[in-house]
Amino acid sequence: MANDLSNGKLTSEQLVPKLAALLKDFTQDWDSEFEGQMDRGTTLLADLGFESIDIIQLVVAIEEDITHKKVAFDKLLMKDGRYVDDLSIGQIADFLATQL
Amino acid sequence: MTTKTLFIGMDGCTYTVLNEMTKDLPGEGVAMPFLASLMAKGVRAKLRSTPNPLTPPAWTSIMTGKGPGEHGVFDFIRAEDKGGEVYWTLYDSRDVDAEMIWSIASRAGKTIAALNFPLTAPPPKETNGAIVPGFIPAKHLRRNSHPAGLFERIKQAIPGFDPKELAWDFDKEKQAMESLSDADMENWVRYHLPREEQWFHIAEYILANDKPDLMAVMFDGTDKIQHQAWQFLDPSLMPAERSELYNRVRGVCREYFGNVDRYIKRLVELVGPDAQVFFASDHGFTATVEVLRINSYLEDLGYLKWAESDGSEQALRREASDFANLDWSKTVAYCRTPSSNGIYIRVAEKPGDPGIPKKDYNRVRDKLIEDLKKLRNDDGEPVIVDVLKREDWFQGAHMKDACDLTLVLRDNGFVSIRNVKPPVVKRPNPIGTHHPDGIFMAYGAGISAEGMVGKRKIVDVAPTLLHSLGLPTPSDFEGKVAETFFSGAWLSENPVKIGAPTVRGGEREKSEEMDDNEKKQIIEQLQMLGYME
Repeated sequence: MANDLSNGKLTSEQLVPKLAALLKDFTQDWDSEFEGQMDRGTTLLADLGFESIDIIQLVVAIEEDITHKKVAFDKLLMKDGRYVDDLSIGQIADFLATQL
Repeated sequence: MTTKTLFIGMDGCTYTVLNEMTKDLPGEGVAMPFLASLMAKGVRAKLRSTPNPLTPPAWTSIMTGKGPGEHGVFDFIRAEDKGGEVYWTLYDSRDVDAEMIWSIASRAGKTIAALNFPLTAPPPKETNGAIVPGFIPAKHLRRNSHPAGLFERIKQAIPGFDPKELAWDFDKEKQAMESLSDADMENWVRYHLPREEQWFHIAEYILANDKPDLMAVMFDGTDKIQHQAWQFLDPSLMPAERSELYNRVRGVCREYFGNVDRYIKRLVELVGPDAQVFFASDHGFTATVEVLRINSYLEDLGYLKWAESDGSEQALRREASDFANLDWSKTVAYCRTPSSNGIYIRVAEKPGDPGIPKKDYNRVRDKLIEDLKKLRNDDGEPVIVDVLKREDWFQGAHMKDACDLTLVLRDNGFVSIRNVKPPVVKRPNPIGTHHPDGIFMAYGAGISAEGMVGKRKIVDVAPTLLHSLGLPTPSDFEGKVAETFFSGAWLSENPVKIGAPTVRGGEREKSEEMDDNEKKQIIEQLQMLGYME
């Protein structure tokens, strides 16, 4: 796969469908009750049934398939010294757009 | 295409148990008759593990021919001390800073299969063959299998294939180190029977259909079962009068080893008489009889202060987790995880930072070593028999990531990091712990029939497997080919050669470019660390 980000920065709007496609593949064989389209507002824990280890794996998948390099995800995952309660696809896209 | 080399890994396997399982015992028979026949016709040695004999660094040494100081994997968990807080992350394949034999063989045009090995996820894309990684939860196995489509192929081809039965379950695995009731103990052993059967079926399918030049599969139930059920396996702990529970749990353990024997037989038959077959474990096993609460002892000595608990559910969960929960502003030396068996000394980068000034490092460390060696149990015996300095045992590019001090306990136990007094207590019953000597065995065409030979180092496995494949030893390997494993005639025809050094893949280079960012990174551990609601 070509480096998606090698030809210039992607905007948050461009990143949302990429993340949704990745998450669709990521969760395709989970016993998830989520139905419908994934969009900016879809959340990892509440909607997609993520657990802690799934977030670790998602970070790896984003770095492998979208950014093609390691990203300082701590800035997204921690707020005021505590881990965030949940994340939406939009929040991840907004974050990646500022980091890359 | 035919398979030249079959490598069967058995996590934590030790001759203490293997000798029992391959012996005809009164009333029990032989649990592993096929392996007994291979051992009678082959060669074997004790295999000295990494300084801290632990699964991630030790298997990584088996796969890279290098020690932890070079390959950079020291524990299950990688932590970064940020001055005011320590952040945790899991090691993955991208953290292995050395080329694995799967990649070396692939570059040489060989095909490989590597099943259930830790630190192989995400699998390197340049691999010429199949990787199904170990220690990965079921939900993530498909995406972490290589090549794309392999997981679906296995799913369709193998009747009864169930990734949930096959894969790592964090909640279950945690039980390995917990105290279990009698019923739970039996269930714990039983849980590994279908798991291992699943891995066997994948190995059988790949071997029969793909016939890779290097076929490797690792069975890890050995380690998990021995942790909990050691008292039922170690002949020196056998009671004079066996209880019904003893016979039942021992029976399930022997059933497990009997199953592994069946897997070995089928895989050896599939590779045929011209192949060479190797077995290795990452470490051995023995009994631990006491608990050392190391951070509790460091607190008594004034090196460490525990974090204040606010009594919240989150704080209680954090307290109970296996990751040190400390007041970082007042802690100078501490142990991060039970599996590390090591102590980090915090050094202040600049005045005002927590930790000791750099100039005091040697003095503080020497005093700490002295304090550690003074510790005695209730019987007056020393608890810590050796303290390893990192520059003596972890030389290499990653020495700075090793614990400043690695502890060797008199019973080879792993420390506890719980906030409980007293620092040393006897265990109610002995349980299994890692011993530094594992197993290394071989059988097949061109293999010596010498029986037991001199001890080898864990870094010798990788060059020996490459030699069996007809490949030279990379010049930067720390290990050497186990020449005593091969017959004289075979060695004359196939002399050991030293070749070009290993290379780093694209993945590795990219990761290194990001080293500065990596230093800022806090990867999520969330609920597993008890951090997240």
